[in-house]
Amino acid sequence: MIKVPRILSAILVAALLLMIAHSALALPQEEPGPSPPSEEEGILKSIENTALAAWIRESPSVFAFAGILLLHTIGMGLVVGICAGLDLRILGVAREIPLAPMRRFFPVLWVGFFLNAATGLLLLYADLSTKLINPDFWAKIVFIALAVVTLLRLKKLVFNDPDIDHKPLPANAKLLAFISLILWIGAVTAGRLMAYIGPVSGLGF
Amino acid sequence: MNIPHIHILLNHVPTVGFSLGLALFVAALVTKSQDLKRASLAIVFFIAVLSTAVYVSGNAAADAICPVGQECLPGVAKTAISSHEDIALLAYALMQLTGAFAFIGLWRMRRTSHIGSGTTGAILVLSLLTFGMMARAATIGGEIRHPEIVEGPVEAAESAAGFQLAWFNPPAVKSFVLGSEWVWPASETLHFIGLCLLFSVVLMVDLRILGMAKGMPISAAHKILPWGLLGFGMNVITGMLFFIAAPEQYTGNVVFFWKVVLIVLAGINGLYFLVFDEAWTAGADGDAPLRSKVAALSAIVLWIGVLFCGHMLPFLGNAF
Repeated sequence: MIKVPRILSAILVAALLLMIAHSALALPQEEPGPSPPSEEEGILKSIENTALAAWIRESPSVFAFAGILLLHTIGMGLVVGICAGLDLRILGVAREIPLAPMRRFFPVLWVGFFLNAATGLLLLYADLSTKLINPDFWAKIVFIALAVVTLLRLKKLVFNDPDIDHKPLPANAKLLAFISLILWIGAVTAGRLMAYIGPVSGLGF
Repeated sequence: MNIPHIHILLNHVPTVGFSLGLALFVAALVTKSQDLKRASLAIVFFIAVLSTAVYVSGNAAADAICPVGQECLPGVAKTAISSHEDIALLAYALMQLTGAFAFIGLWRMRRTSHIGSGTTGAILVLSLLTFGMMARAATIGGEIRHPEIVEGPVEAAESAAGFQLAWFNPPAVKSFVLGSEWVWPASETLHFIGLCLLFSVVLMVDLRILGMAKGMPISAAHKILPWGLLGFGMNVITGMLFFIAAPEQYTGNVVFFWKVVLIVLAGINGLYFLVFDEAWTAGADGDAPLRSKVAALSAIVLWIGVLFCGHMLPFLGNAF
């Protein structure tokens, strides 16, 4: 079951690296500014100014920024929706639902997660120079990284055990579920606030 | 047909429908008929869902007869409009609360076959209050363009209509939301957390009904429905904060129109799962009937549709 996400993520990372390498080599259309940017800034700007990045950021087409962000929101619904359900169940909501079959929801969760990794990278690609200096962006990344680590621990501890419903819950399962819930709320909050902290793409302002 | 027309068409439904639901609920309590009780709660829940469309179409109706910054059409009582809005908001809030209790009542009836004296009492008291407010809002709404139903001079009717809670009316809500630059982003965040909670329940219940995660009894999945209601409730509250603070973003926004239509359809879809038993009878490895699977699939499609419309409000419409 875990193999699918691994293959998917490998393909995804390879594609993204190719895309970034291609863009970095492609003609940078940067205009000379009043003060010459530092070398690092120059690279970020040149990536941001590739045709694809500019299209995502500036095209009025609904398939550009609006469509990618839509998929990102749907992916959020899948990931956080399923995780919230798993966490709440471990925390004691609806005890009559057995835990073991809930592991079958994980593929839905992974679909959402990789959808969001892909769309998230595209959105980052379009606004590289502003997102990378936005503290809210890094807060979101940290929340997601910790949330995924917590989720994988919960999966190993609870959902990978077919006998989990016939014995008491492992000692720290509830704590992990609680932390997971808080981390996902943090990730959603930081993500939503990216529309208010720092520049916003796609709306022409 | 335009949105003001829809307001004129729908605005009788809450008062008439709600009185029917309330009457049936009292009759069910007297006759101790479970079916009647179910029917009455279903009506109350449906009217509560529909009342969102009635409320939000009201702003377009007001714009049509009294455009901002312009003279009202002849024969329009302007102060009656603001009184109507004030009381309509109170009636709407009470109706949403009553609808939530009707949902809980229907949910409990499947689990324990009775809804509990607390819920029964809450539904009775809240529906009486709602009905009173809704009737008042409807009366004043009628006086906006029907001077023939006003007894005495129109001006007297307008001032008599003035019933207000200083802290709970559209202008007060608007200044609360726009008064601090953090209320809007914070409400947006809560709107997203509510979305996740709602999706949590929609995905788990409907995917199980569609056949995923066998081993989980569908009858047990029923237990988590109120969490979906909580998420939806969070989004009704935060969503209405946006609407009341900046109605001009939404009244002429075609994506918002479709969002409200889809929410009403999703509410009707929810009613199927609340009222009928057939979706919930299957045990751990059982299959739900085809009709339930169709309903489960349409629930997922409808809620993703609601998300699509909400997301597209600034891109295809004029919201920010």
